[in-house]
Amino acid sequence: MVSLSVDLHRLSKFVNLALPALAVLFFLAGRFLSFYFHFFTVAFLFLSIVNYFYLYVQTEHSLLRNFGIVAQGRYLIESVGPELRQYLFASDTEERPFNRVERAEIYRKAKDIDSASFFVSLKQFDSTEIKIRHSMYPTDREDLIPYSLTYGEERGIENAYSITKPIIISAMSYGSLGRQAVRCLARGAKMAGIPMNTGEGGYPKYHLMEGCDLIFQMGTAKFGVRDEEGYLDEEKLRDLAGKDEIKMIEIKFSQGAKPGKGGLLPKEKLTPDIAGLRGVPMGKDVISPPHHKECKDKSTTVSFIRRVQEVSGLPVGIKLCVGSFEEVEELVGEMVHQNIFPDYMSVDGAEGGTGAAPKAFMDRVGVPLIPALARVNKILCEAGVRDRLKLMAAGKLINPGRQMLAFALGAQAVYTARGFMLSLGCIQALQCGQNTCPIGITTHDPTLQRGLDIDTKAMRVRNYVHNLEHDLCELLAASGRRSFDELSMNNLFIPEDSTLAPLLEDPRNLAST
Amino acid sequence: MKNIASWILRIFTAVIFTQTLYFKFTGHQDSVEIFSALKIEPSGRILIGILELVSAILILVPGTVVYGAILAWGIMGGAIIGHCTVIGFEGDNLSLFLLGVAVWVSATILLVLHRDQLPLLRHMFEKPNSSS
Repeated sequence: MVSLSVDLHRLSKFVNLALPALAVLFFLAGRFLSFYFHFFTVAFLFLSIVNYFYLYVQTEHSLLRNFGIVAQGRYLIESVGPELRQYLFASDTEERPFNRVERAEIYRKAKDIDSASFFVSLKQFDSTEIKIRHSMYPTDREDLIPYSLTYGEERGIENAYSITKPIIISAMSYGSLGRQAVRCLARGAKMAGIPMNTGEGGYPKYHLMEGCDLIFQMGTAKFGVRDEEGYLDEEKLRDLAGKDEIKMIEIKFSQGAKPGKGGLLPKEKLTPDIAGLRGVPMGKDVISPPHHKECKDKSTTVSFIRRVQEVSGLPVGIKLCVGSFEEVEELVGEMVHQNIFPDYMSVDGAEGGTGAAPKAFMDRVGVPLIPALARVNKILCEAGVRDRLKLMAAGKLINPGRQMLAFALGAQAVYTARGFMLSLGCIQALQCGQNTCPIGITTHDPTLQRGLDIDTKAMRVRNYVHNLEHDLCELLAASGRRSFDELSMNNLFIPEDSTLAPLLEDPRNLAST
Repeated sequence: MKNIASWILRIFTAVIFTQTLYFKFTGHQDSVEIFSALKIEPSGRILIGILELVSAILILVPGTVVYGAILAWGIMGGAIIGHCTVIGFEGDNLSLFLLGVAVWVSATILLVLHRDQLPLLRHMFEKPNSSS
């Protein structure tokens, strides 16, 4: 019994011979039958020359060198692989960073349609996942304490800033996002009544256009407030802080996606506009240094925080991804020693996203959010200074369930960037660094940005915030608490083998399997 | 430099094509004679004329130069075959043949100049990606 099969080795040899042979055959047919056959003669002649290049001239691709034009089939099919997998073959729960189920929830929230699940959750229900404990006696909705958080109240400053919703649009610079996306988010933030972080993209020209509250982020390169050597230019900071829309300043020490690496804007995405706002040359990747030039150790770091507080007159926060808890302990110790505290501290999980970062950094560096946040909260409590600053969290906090974990672990407000990108319609094409974003979010190509209608998408942003807030209130009520401040780790079901298990004070709350 | 050379060759090719396709579409006597000799008159004459028009347009549009050049390379390849096998080189035919060779060479040079845009081949000529 002989079964049918394709021997690609023999097929390629056959094709390599057949191309010139067909050219000759069609030449003869053109000569003796009809001149029309010469259309094929020239076509096969061209293909033969192309194939000759593959086999004997180029040296880059071994496959093409060995098998010729047939090997292009591999590259051709491979090139549409990501799309085919996403459209047809990937299951609803296996894509990264957000699977289809997770994305669908955001899309539905953004479009303000019911995002209830039906029949069953697709999550795991063995003992590996942290869950939220509900109470037998849920809080009545009218007993919930309306959310309010005032940054800077600890220092009693004049420009203290209050938020009334616990969700903030996380740092996305103009540069990583296109101007259209920035304006969609800014207008949406204004409509939803939440602030937006500008990212480290320099003077926030487009963020300012829509009149929403802004948190100006000062990255390690200090784009927008730097002098020529990359040190803080106090005059520029003072000017910027004087703008009505700028409510807070955030000093970014590190970012979850690439902690210890600074930032990177690929040259493909550098436009003259961006180069101007940032004060950098065209044609080269824009690289932020790994640390602030002023901050060489814990004492200079804490002094720098004070300097920014004094110059800006605004609440000043810091954002960092935790690498070592000892370092955090020492930093907090130094804050106590100098009696200087930032107005908030934002813990970024290593799972955070970015437009472009070296793969090893994205994959391997930094402590993930859940353990990092819990430990930082504990460190602050143990030092007795938890009430001297606000704690915030970031890192894949796109849905109310995960945000609730952050609140239970000590966060008082949450940052999300990718949640808001999804609300704009991000399809997770994973092309953020290539200037080819098919939705028009992370690109500066006007023909692609055309897809984003500011009014429509701003509404999506508003709906997303509204529905998140709604779900969070329901979760809070279900856990029997009246405000996020009343939540603690005891409101979580923490499996024995979780990194959080050792942090639990009351061992009775540990879930045993 | 490369840009200037490219534009000169593109305009040269497009001008020759528009000129000859004018004779083809209006049924000029010389044109009709040639295509009769090839036994593809009149449909072959019209078809080649249309292809020359398409090629001339593609070759002038910056994004599609290589596609126009491939088409021109093929059409002129056919013309050269025609001269070598049927039409010959006597009288006016010699100058037509030389013109055909000139356009064919011009199309070939265009393909080399724009090799980084060639379908199927361009990846070989791309500069290695620097970072990120």
